[in-house]
Amino acid sequence: MWFETSRKAPISKVNLSSIEFLIQEAFTGIRRNGLMAYASISTIALSLGVLGGFVLVALGANNFAASQISKFEIAVYMDVRATKAQTEAVAETIRKMPYVAGVELRSREQEWARFKKENPNIEAAGLQSNPIPHSLDVKVTDAAKTTYIANKVRAMEGVHKVSDGREVLSRVMAVARVVRGISVAGVVVLLITAVFIISNAIKLTLYARRREIRIMKLVGATNWFIRVPLIIEGVVFGATGAFAAWVLLRLGGSYVAHTAQRLPMMARFSSDVTPGALALWLMLLGIAIGAAGSFVSIRRFLHD
Amino acid sequence: MITLDGVSVEYENGVRALNDVSLSIAKGEFAFIVGATGSGKSTLLRLLYREMLPTKGRVFVGGEDVTALTPNQVPFLRRKLGIVFQDFKLLPQKNLWENLAFALRVIGAQPREIRRRIGDALAMVGLTHRCDSFPHQMSGGEQQRAAIARALVNQPTLLLADEPTGNLDPDTSWEIIQLLDEINVRGATVVVATHDSHIVDRMKKRVIQLDAGFVVRDEQKGAYQQSELEQH
Repeated sequence: MWFETSRKAPISKVNLSSIEFLIQEAFTGIRRNGLMAYASISTIALSLGVLGGFVLVALGANNFAASQISKFEIAVYMDVRATKAQTEAVAETIRKMPYVAGVELRSREQEWARFKKENPNIEAAGLQSNPIPHSLDVKVTDAAKTTYIANKVRAMEGVHKVSDGREVLSRVMAVARVVRGISVAGVVVLLITAVFIISNAIKLTLYARRREIRIMKLVGATNWFIRVPLIIEGVVFGATGAFAAWVLLRLGGSYVAHTAQRLPMMARFSSDVTPGALALWLMLLGIAIGAAGSFVSIRRFLHD
Repeated sequence: MITLDGVSVEYENGVRALNDVSLSIAKGEFAFIVGATGSGKSTLLRLLYREMLPTKGRVFVGGEDVTALTPNQVPFLRRKLGIVFQDFKLLPQKNLWENLAFALRVIGAQPREIRRRIGDALAMVGLTHRCDSFPHQMSGGEQQRAAIARALVNQPTLLLADEPTGNLDPDTSWEIIQLLDEINVRGATVVVATHDSHIVDRMKKRVIQLDAGFVVRDEQKGAYQQSELEQH
């Protein structure tokens, strides 16, 4: 053949000095397209910042709802005549049931002592003997199973009354479901929006350089040779934007936490996401969107 | 070096840019392709560097049927060609040295080889002193010489020029053509599409005239127009 062609993957022809050159090309490209780089990075930072902020608030709301639900316990009141041994037997049976996190026995003597302490005049009022039965506090692992467990316990020997706070619980759980639904929908919508906005920003920077891409093709550059520096640029944009978004979220987060401390209700409002994990996720997302956005956008300019 | 075999090009809007064109240009030849705007000159060149495919017929460059190349093979064809355009097509964000270096990096040349070849090419076009300049800092003539230097760094056996003097004044145009002639003397086949009658008449090289996509004239040592030759 008069000219050599390579049917193999063109990337295999790239040697070490070429790799160095391609990386250098990427950074030269960023430096000489400063305004476009700024536009891309700030777009990525803002998109990821809004997305990340929403995720943190959504996680906080879900944690808050979950913490409210986990406060619910099943109160089991024994017959007044039931002995402590009988109560312990019931407690043991409940402990072995699925979805039960723990059972705590409150003996009638203990409760009576506490009641008298809280109401010092009660004996004077004529109440001499202890009217309080033995009782059990049952903690469940899954709030949705509360009714199921309560019904089982209700049928047990020596059990007088079971209170599972069904009404309130079902209402709280409904709220939690709505919160979770809105969070998931919001995250999906914001993620799609962020991907769209970011890939548009990248497309714009590439559009400004389409002439450059054409010239590279005319001097015989393979598609990979053109693509690699631009993908590296996308990754650098993504990572830089993610870092900026992280800084924004940290600053905003510490302000919110500081304010929330003064509101007793909101004390438990926390996303439980460590700064390190937040940085990691933002980085991964930024780099993935940057690389994928570049890759997909370049395709359009390589084939016209 | 070049053979067109019954080549027709029809654009999607129905315009026929070339009609059953058959011609061949030998290795080491210097040929002008002349004709009015829209006669098919640029289309013919674009077929040669595989910027487009013919609707019908076959195009051979260096004995290779370029119409049969896969997209992955096209870059390797272009590395063997030097291509020069009316609008120079230099990379605006790179200085002269980097523009030339890029063309060499593309083929995987090593830094030492790159320095040597750029030095030679810049010396040939007389731009050694301008290697740090960006395209927008250079005159039209300098930019075209820079583009020719870029075409030369890969030591092409075939140089294609599409209206290389279209944006230049007559004196500068003549310098550019002289440069292309020198490249031809050194062994490369040179094909120049132009409607600059002055340079064609002065050079007295082979002239292939196109009109509405047909080859209407093909003569050795020709002039831009047939009548002018008859006057002499």
